[in-house]
Amino acid sequence: MSTRPYHAAIFGATSAICIETLRAMAREKTTKLLLIGRHPGRLESVANDLRSRGAECTTLVADFLDPKTNWLQILTDNAQSDPWDLLLIAHGSLPDQDTTLRDPESLAAELHINFTSPAVIAAACAQILVKQNHGTLAVFGSVAGDRGRGSNFIYGSAKAGIDTFLAGMRHQFSQHRKIKIVTLKPGMTDTPMTSHLPKGPLFSSAEAVGTQSWRAIQSAPPVAYLPGWWKFIMTLIRILPSSLLHRTKL
Amino acid sequence: MTATKTFHSWGKLRPATAKLLAPAWIPNDLPGTGPFLAYGLGRSYGDSCLLDGGTMIETRFLDRIQHFDPQTGILRAESGITLAAILRFCVPKGWFLPTTPGTSQITLGGAIANDVHGKNHHSAGCFGNHVRMLDLLRSDGSRHTLRPGDPMLAATIGGLGLTGLITSAEIQLVPIRSAHLDVELTRFCGLDEFMEISASSSETWEHTVAWIDCVASGNSLGRGIFIRGKWSDRGDLSTHRTARLTAPFEMPGFTLNRFTVQAFNTLYYRRFLGKTKTLHQHYAPFFYPLDGVNEWNRIYGKPGFYQYQCVTPTAAGTEPMKQILTKIAASGQASFLAVLKTFGDVPSPGMLSFPQPGITLALDFPQRDPATRDLFLQLDEIVRACHGRLYPAKDARMNARDFSQTYPQLESFKSFLDTKFSSDFWKRMTSATTPS
Ligand SMILES: Cc1cc2nc3c(=O)[nH]c(=O)nc-3n(C[C@H](O)[C@H](O)[C@H](O)COP(=O)(O)OP(=O)(O)OC[C@H]3O[C@@H](n4cnc5c(N)ncnc54)[C@H](O)[C@@H]3O)c2cc1C
Ligand SMILES: NC(=O)c1ccc[n+]([C@@H]2O[C@H](COP(=O)([O-])OP(=O)(O)OC[C@H]3O[C@@H](n4cnc5c(N)ncnc54)[C@H](OP(=O)(O)O)[C@@H]3O)[C@@H](O)[C@H]2O)c1
Repeated sequence: MSTRPYHAAIFGATSAICIETLRAMAREKTTKLLLIGRHPGRLESVANDLRSRGAECTTLVADFLDPKTNWLQILTDNAQSDPWDLLLIAHGSLPDQDTTLRDPESLAAELHINFTSPAVIAAACAQILVKQNHGTLAVFGSVAGDRGRGSNFIYGSAKAGIDTFLAGMRHQFSQHRKIKIVTLKPGMTDTPMTSHLPKGPLFSSAEAVGTQSWRAIQSAPPVAYLPGWWKFIMTLIRILPSSLLHRTKL
Repeated sequence: MTATKTFHSWGKLRPATAKLLAPAWIPNDLPGTGPFLAYGLGRSYGDSCLLDGGTMIETRFLDRIQHFDPQTGILRAESGITLAAILRFCVPKGWFLPTTPGTSQITLGGAIANDVHGKNHHSAGCFGNHVRMLDLLRSDGSRHTLRPGDPMLAATIGGLGLTGLITSAEIQLVPIRSAHLDVELTRFCGLDEFMEISASSSETWEHTVAWIDCVASGNSLGRGIFIRGKWSDRGDLSTHRTARLTAPFEMPGFTLNRFTVQAFNTLYYRRFLGKTKTLHQHYAPFFYPLDGVNEWNRIYGKPGFYQYQCVTPTAAGTEPMKQILTKIAASGQASFLAVLKTFGDVPSPGMLSFPQPGITLALDFPQRDPATRDLFLQLDEIVRACHGRLYPAKDARMNARDFSQTYPQLESFKSFLDTKFSSDFWKRMTSATTPS
């Protein structure tokens, strides 16, 4: 057994669920984290919080929408001296459906940040893991990707896309037993992303979802619903006949 | 995208509808024209944390630790971090909050803005006594780093959120060897016996409080249990668990009545035989007995409830508090959980801090107006006559004149107000017509 710290890089490290995931991780393990995001100040405040909790952190400012970017080289270089145990992709954006549908430019941008960007990053990360023949790639999808619904199908379809993308990669790399690819599917979670929504009983706290994300990253099932009972709810929603679904406002 | 949201305080009496700001990061300025008010977790009972028609700034996403020094126990954090989260962080490292109210479900900013007090007030003073520094953002975009000695700090501690948005604060934690306390429960009957035990405990017991039965009359009038504790050397540094139970819905009004309350209180009083009982207790049941059940305030049902918390000064002796207890018992309106405590003489740091040396009583009342307010008017008279005062954090109905006359530093405080901040409480205290 090595005493090497758990080595992880996180895209979208300023997300509330992700911060709780990293706090849960830092409670249990000695960690060495590379926090990646677009705002240096925010990254630094997350890093300070995690440092007080014992994590060793560095931060990296990157543009997730630009494929010709700095992070790939840095991740690849790092892997040579210290292989990655985890590459985690957490960024996402929940747009206002109606206004976004009427504005092609922001529609494209939303699809980009919720699908293209995580897919491009995931593909590159998978290559790094294959090369080291070790590690877990975990990406935040959403229960919203399980069925197209009138209220949020821009976000939902992008999340469905990343879900399918990851499922395909799992297939492609199924021979690589030491590499795990996990889709994390939170249900509705009380974070800044949903601060404007009224909170019903289906909402979970970021702390609960983050802690369970960390559990899921360790046990590495192909798909993890967070909390687990969302699997049951989404099964029902998936099998609901369209004739019934269309009568609801879901 | 500006959303509006309905906000409640803990007593659920009058909700407020306000524009919502829920910053995920410490803001550089406050967008919009206001008026503004910060909202922590809404654990204030009355309307001091509400601003109907204004812009309310939810702080709970501002929950990051900025710095912790494990050698000195100095912690700096964003203002929306909860006391529960601070404890989960610091207890395993052997540190605890310098003082804590009866719930851990409050924010650091809320603890400062109400300058909350705890069971160790007689030795530790208020929460604000342990604030080493805080950052304040005002509506004009100016930022102020305040340290003890700065009058704007004295205005902000206990300042009811009216001096601006506290964005982060630095507090001094205290060392503990175990997460457990050695606790002694003693039955008493009557205020005189309470005062005796209180006086004999203050030197040797760091934490003291009493539960008093405000329903029993006749021979049982003023019966109660005195609870005192000190940090133990035995036991581990384990943290509390998160609550598993949630009160399922608003209970119908009839579940809380004279008979159920009396039965509960009798059971509570008789929970051990003999005069005293000693316990080795984890900090969670000792400090936060109610935190095990989420949203327990729902047991009061739709009408909501009041808490009446007053302090009667030491100089007035025990007579006023006796009159208050007698009046409450005779009214038959009180609910369980009356808490009695003596405040010590550590000077309160805030211009509007509530604690002053004396006896404080805090007690819930289901809202059954006009009867409930009528009773409060009678209690107010006793408090007024002895130069005591009421706690704004718990208040939904005090008289503006009483407020201005019993908080002597109110005028100096006003010069530190952020003119674009307000609250329903403040509007009530400053409007020309004063409903009682
Ligand atoms: C079960 C229970 C037991 C309690 N026991 C005690 C006790 O023993 N002692 C005691 O003193 N109190 C006690 N309280 C009251 C409670 O501790 C206070 O009301 C506390 O201030 C609530 O904090 P909060 O974070 O919920 O703030 P809120 O109630 O949301 O707000 C309280 C005030 O703080 C202001 N505020 C909040 N955050 C900020 C910020 N970042 N910047 C500026 N202003 C801000 C608000 O504007 C408001 O004026 C108890 C409450 C409950 C429910
Ligand atoms: N909250 C929910 O109910 C819920 C439910 C299901 C799934 N999820 C998913 O879980 C993940 C975390 O969500 P959360 O609720 O924790 O979110 P959050 O706190 O709102 O954080 C969103 C994250 O996405 C980043 N981001 C957004 N747009 C970006 C852009 N254009 N470029 C770069 N970064 C961008 C943000 O970075 P900045 O800090 O720089 O803005 C931030 O790190 C997301 O993938 C989300 O879709 C959330």
